[in-house]
Amino acid sequence: MGVKRGVSSYSYQNLIFDLKMNWNDFIRTIRQDLDTDGVELIDGTFIPGYPFMSQEFEYAWKNEIARWDMKSVTMDIYLDVLQFRDHVMNHAEAVERLKRDLKIAARLGFQNVRALAPCPEDVIEACIPVAEDLGVCIGQEVHAPIQIVYDPATDRNPKGVVDPALVDTIIEMRLKHNTTAVALVPDMGLFNNWFTPSQVAQAKRQTGDPDLIDFIVECREADMAPDELTAKVKEKSPNANMMALGRLIQPQASATIDQFAKVVPYTCSIHGKFYEMVEDPTKPGGYYDPSIPYDQIMKVLNDCGYEGYINSEFEGQGNRNDLPDEEMFDEREQVRRQHVMLKALGAE
Amino acid sequence: MPKKTTVQGSLENVYCDKCGKIIGFKFGVRLPRYRGNMLSLINGYYVNVDGVEYPQDKLRFIINGKPPRTFEEIKKAVWEHWDYQTIGYIFVEQEGGLSKGEHTVIATVSNFEQYGYRPGDGPMSDQYKVDNVIVPGPGGSGFGGPAVPMVQVLE
Repeated sequence: MGVKRGVSSYSYQNLIFDLKMNWNDFIRTIRQDLDTDGVELIDGTFIPGYPFMSQEFEYAWKNEIARWDMKSVTMDIYLDVLQFRDHVMNHAEAVERLKRDLKIAARLGFQNVRALAPCPEDVIEACIPVAEDLGVCIGQEVHAPIQIVYDPATDRNPKGVVDPALVDTIIEMRLKHNTTAVALVPDMGLFNNWFTPSQVAQAKRQTGDPDLIDFIVECREADMAPDELTAKVKEKSPNANMMALGRLIQPQASATIDQFAKVVPYTCSIHGKFYEMVEDPTKPGGYYDPSIPYDQIMKVLNDCGYEGYINSEFEGQGNRNDLPDEEMFDEREQVRRQHVMLKALGAE
Repeated sequence: MPKKTTVQGSLENVYCDKCGKIIGFKFGVRLPRYRGNMLSLINGYYVNVDGVEYPQDKLRFIINGKPPRTFEEIKKAVWEHWDYQTIGYIFVEQEGGLSKGEHTVIATVSNFEQYGYRPGDGPMSDQYKVDNVIVPGPGGSGFGGPAVPMVQVLE
């Protein structure tokens, strides 16, 4: 037993948008491309008429899962608080929404729902009895800039939008209620500490100043601090589009790899975020994402004995969305490469 | 992420069933994101055809097999989902419709889907969006950003 592999439908979003992949294709693709069984579904992407899911869809989904010997691992759920338009959804209404989503997830056989990081803690806590009854775990997303170890001095979260200490909040909630029906879904963007070739190339196109981008890369390689680098960029190029340069100067990482073990025991599912899988020049047929240290991530998971799923969440599409269609990422190939890497690093 | 949310080749003039005259034109649109959402969250569309901007009261939205609706009516569809892979249609009221030849259509959605609460009372806050009329603009509201223009020749 070891780390299991799966895929979120988020990874194939361009194929799905272009109507080249329906939900049946999605399930089959995971089995046929990757020889694995983990399925992560974004509810509003594929459930017709959500939240009034038909029995026909429920039966068809379960049938397709059985046909390909798959597992419904995690269903990603949302919190559109302006749904009613004449008022902001209050927390009691948000509880009703979460309960509905738990019931839908249970009908489809999912083990977990992924609640968004901004979902208020009292909403999650109020749903524990329903989650326990249904046997579905509520996993709250831990997404950058949330920190694993909360530090008010370096916290970058917008005030009032998210509980910046949600890792501790959820762990305490589990202990208080003596339950495993709440847990964490860490997103590996927490460790996004570098950039990909496509990010660099896009920044060169967007700024029209390849020399500036090369300068930034050189400074990063020399380990220059983000504040100092920002000042140097502004000095060198006063009109630079700082929005286009943000991630190059300061990647979104809000945790360090030595902190990861803290959340693993409380993790029900992992978002295997990645931005670009490139060939590893040192290992023929091997791949890695230069922006996220998966070798270190997998070492922690293996050392901790994690036996849950890590589900691919490819998010690099946007780094080529200013290019012609034929130069877009091949999402299936990107996911395939990530799974080659995960297996090489010890996943089942 | 900019996706081609205006359905290529979908532009056509619309005829009145009773009088046989052209009463406007329509084209297909898709949600610009990676998931569907409740119809009520669609605040409206910024529509610009050949440089002409069309106000909200000239627009109707057609989806889910129902008759054309204004965005004031769409706002009340709080339990009706716009499935992600479904095409909606924007009908633009314009006597005589569009002429033969090439047309450039820009249709940018103003969508109030979001990931949770935005407290406070500033223009980005939840309460502001409840209390004020947000007129859809070319930059879009919410995720998605400006639409990719669609160019089509009407025969």
